[in-house]
Amino acid sequence: MGYEWDFLVVLRDFDLLLLGLVNTLKVTVLALVLGVPIGLALALLRLYGNLVVRAPVGLLIEFLRTTPPIAQLFWFFFALPILTGIEIDPFRASILTFALQSSAFFAEVFRGGIVSIDTGQWEASKALGMSRNESLRRIILPQAVKRMIPAFLERAIELMKTTTLVSTISYADLLYQANSIAQSTYRSLEVFSIAAAMYFLVIFACSMIVRYIEARLAIASEAAH
Amino acid sequence: MTEILRLRNLHKSFGPLEVLKGIDLAVAQGEVIVLIGASGSGKSTLLRCINFMEIPTSGRVFLHGTPVGRQTSSGVSYVERELTQIRARIGMVFQHFNLFPHMTALQNVMEGPRTVLKCSPDECRNRADNQLRKVGLEWKADAYPSQLSGGQQQRVAIARALAMEPEIMLFDEVTSALDPELVGEVLITMKELADEGMTMLIVTHELGFAYSVADRVLFLADGNVLEQGSPPEVLTYPKEEATKNFLRGHSSFRLPEPQLD
Ligand SMILES: Nc1ncnc2c1ncn2[C@@H]1O[C@H](COP(=O)(O)OP(=O)(O)O)[C@@H](O)[C@H]1O
Ligand SMILES: [Mg+2]
Repeated sequence: MGYEWDFLVVLRDFDLLLLGLVNTLKVTVLALVLGVPIGLALALLRLYGNLVVRAPVGLLIEFLRTTPPIAQLFWFFFALPILTGIEIDPFRASILTFALQSSAFFAEVFRGGIVSIDTGQWEASKALGMSRNESLRRIILPQAVKRMIPAFLERAIELMKTTTLVSTISYADLLYQANSIAQSTYRSLEVFSIAAAMYFLVIFACSMIVRYIEARLAIASEAAH
Repeated sequence: MTEILRLRNLHKSFGPLEVLKGIDLAVAQGEVIVLIGASGSGKSTLLRCINFMEIPTSGRVFLHGTPVGRQTSSGVSYVERELTQIRARIGMVFQHFNLFPHMTALQNVMEGPRTVLKCSPDECRNRADNQLRKVGLEWKADAYPSQLSGGQQQRVAIARALAMEPEIMLFDEVTSALDPELVGEVLITMKELADEGMTMLIVTHELGFAYSVADRVLFLADGNVLEQGSPPEVLTYPKEEATKNFLRGHSSFRLPEPQLD
């Protein structure tokens, strides 16, 4: 195998790759920032809403979780504008898709975390005179969120990987940029290797940070549980 | 003698199961009432109806002569906001402590005044310091529940309820989950509270403690108050056959009894 590596050609376009990485992070972070609160809202509606609300919310969550993300992305990018008559750019379509899609997963994570808390915690806060919202905010969610951190992290990483789909609607994320560079330089091996390494570094760093936070939280309370 | 609490013909059913079958009870300010009875006789349910952890199926609860809820043609209706206010005025301590594990002992005790009473930070801190000192645990203020013994956790739970400055305290088998050697410290804390004049309703199997602390003992059987009176009347010279049987099964006045005074 006499392949001659040439990273230099690729490194000349490294700024384009960085831009792609920034765009990937933008979609991921925005989807998270929107998806987490929407997920919490969906979880609370599914748990405590009245019957009229609970069923459709449950259906929405299941729908978002079980349909392929790329189908959702295409729907928001190609189909929604037909419905609304409003053009949507790849960036907005991506945010919309992944915020909603991840909110469905976060809703299930929140729900699982909330119901895992011992009913004695509800009892004690209720007996003090707290309303359900106060109990949730002060007693239940802080404990639930701690337990959810591993699941959150896993979801966030999964999300960053899934955002590579946005390249299919020409949003200039890391994968899209890599692909363009590969086509102009004919250096697919180098370009995609570097892109993969960039994904790895970012995701690995994120999981290290979260693991550190987790360890700190464990010391704070769960230590001798 | 001021009446602080009255239950009138209180019923509670869970589905088809009728657990309380018409309880009438008047509690005087500062009175200490001990409820005894077999498992399943409805003791917990009775306590839980008093602070509306459970909503009575029918009948009425009066606090300081004021009825809780509103009488309508189809029974008594309750508004959740009124019930949270009632709960804030009545302290409850549980068998399994139920401390908030993500908070220190101090934060646990501050939580009610902070979130429910909206006290200032200084006021919360003051109340919590005082109550922790009272149960002898000011030196554990910064410990998390997981770092405390069962007896210490239960004393923090008592302090947490007291920080709300409740008018009545409810204790539901608060020593049942404790190792025998840790029971005494909790009973002593309760005895001190009784001596200070706190109105208390206590469900317990510690009959020696019941004898020494109660003004009145109620024997519950099958959702009714079968017999009541002073500790000697009920515990030493019970009239009812069911009470006698219950006490026989209990080898009453067994230790540990708190070393009082
Ligand atoms: N939330 C509930 N749902 C259904 N049944 C209940 C509930 N709480 C208590 N019970 C039933 O009511 C009866 C009395 O229970 P409880 O008041 O806990 O008795 P005690 O405290 O005297 O042991 C028991 O048969 C119990 O199974
Ligand atoms: Mg009970």
